[in-house]
Amino acid sequence: MTSYIQNPVIWALLVAVLGAVSVIVRQRRAARAFRREIEEIKAHYTQLENSFSKSVESEKEQAQDATKSVLKSAMRTLQGLAAEQQSVISGLQTKYGESVILQDLLEIDHTNSQFGRRAQSIAVLCDGWLGRQREVASVYDVVRSAQGRIRHFRRVEILSQVDFGITNRAVEPVALALAELLDNATSYSSPDTVVEINIRTVPKGICIVVDDAGVSMNDEERAKAEKLLSSERVSGVSGLGSPPQFGFAVIGVLCERFGFEVSVDSNSPYGGVRAVLLLPHELLTAMPVKKAPAPAVPASAGDQGGPQSAMTASSTVDGLPRRSRKRPMAIVPGSASATPAATRSDAEAAAIMGAFQRGTEIGRATRPDSANPSSSTRDASSEGHEVS
Amino acid sequence: MNGFDELEPETAELVRPYVITKGRGLPNEEQLSLITLVTAAGDQLQRPTQLSPEEQGLLDLCTAGFLSVAEIAGHTRLPMGVVKILLSALTEGGYLITRPPVQRAPLTDRHILEEVLNGLRTKFG
Repeated sequence: MTSYIQNPVIWALLVAVLGAVSVIVRQRRAARAFRREIEEIKAHYTQLENSFSKSVESEKEQAQDATKSVLKSAMRTLQGLAAEQQSVISGLQTKYGESVILQDLLEIDHTNSQFGRRAQSIAVLCDGWLGRQREVASVYDVVRSAQGRIRHFRRVEILSQVDFGITNRAVEPVALALAELLDNATSYSSPDTVVEINIRTVPKGICIVVDDAGVSMNDEERAKAEKLLSSERVSGVSGLGSPPQFGFAVIGVLCERFGFEVSVDSNSPYGGVRAVLLLPHELLTAMPVKKAPAPAVPASAGDQGGPQSAMTASSTVDGLPRRSRKRPMAIVPGSASATPAATRSDAEAAAIMGAFQRGTEIGRATRPDSANPSSSTRDASSEGHEVS
Repeated sequence: MNGFDELEPETAELVRPYVITKGRGLPNEEQLSLITLVTAAGDQLQRPTQLSPEEQGLLDLCTAGFLSVAEIAGHTRLPMGVVKILLSALTEGGYLITRPPVQRAPLTDRHILEEVLNGLRTKFG
């Protein structure tokens, strides 16, 4: 035993073992510390990464919002100018209506409308100003308005009409969306083909069907179009591609905002695309009342019967019609005298008849100076004037 | 954010005149002048449904008898040239008949009158 203790080799071994153990322990500790550090660094890194992507995202959004608001106000100016120019051109068209200049004025008007539409489309993508408030218009007029906003409007044919109007809020968006559809239809078909529009009444509302004879879309294009028309639309003007394709993106935004539907998932009978714009009942209303085109002619009110009788006698012995100057005044639609009388309600008619009767009774009565009945007569007669 | 509601009052017509004329050109002056007389041809019942409201309105105006182009234009709110284009299109379609204004009687040639006078004088004088 002592020999072992005395043996220096044993001691040396023991020291070596102890040293090794302590080194191992120290290294283990160091490794653990390293591992912890690495984990900490990892966590820090992911945190940094997250905050970086977040800030990139918000920066992107900010940039997009900034672009949007810049474009929005720029387009608003352009739209205002286009509208102003349109009213100037309208004035010129009336002023030089008899001259050959009119032809050129119509051309300018056409170009100006296209220009206005482009600005309007960009504004729509930037949540901007859509344009002037319109009055209720017939579906047919809204379709024609859309037709006038594209370059090749001569190639568009409207084959049917319906007796419905579009509410004033929806007139402009529907016209703009349809203009984009027509622009696509005329751009992607050959210049000698016709783009047909059919307006049909369906149980859900009204369908405006646009058929072109162009090249149909392939599956990829169709999927892209469907995506743009659905809710997964692009936001803002980035992501429209180069050259930018506004059409479906604009239509998608308008559909979502105003509650109509557009689908392009079928083929037209002519091999091209069939686009269908479905207007629900909420956007439809009765046909707008036509404004009397001519200023009221006072003479037509009095001699309503005169021209009628003159018309029957207005042919010469040879059977040719004879011209009568008074006739056009009478045949202008919406002459004021006849219709209001017919629209008197029963109560009003009774009140007027009652007033008339009271008046005659008072006239026959011996005391003409009674204040009350005479005032009631005056009231009644003034009421009668208001109605007629 | 809802910028769609800021709409301004209407200023211009919804349907532009070049759409109403369908992009057709002006008819020439001999064919349709301001005093050309126009009337509807045939029966009102056989009128096709594909005419635009403006064309229908013009036909309505013209059914009763001859009207001059100037009068017709006065009853519409359209520029004169646009009315002319529509009238000429309707005439081409056979819905309207135009009649040139009655010509002023041309003055007889003085030379012929003198010859007649001379002839009469030599015969009777």
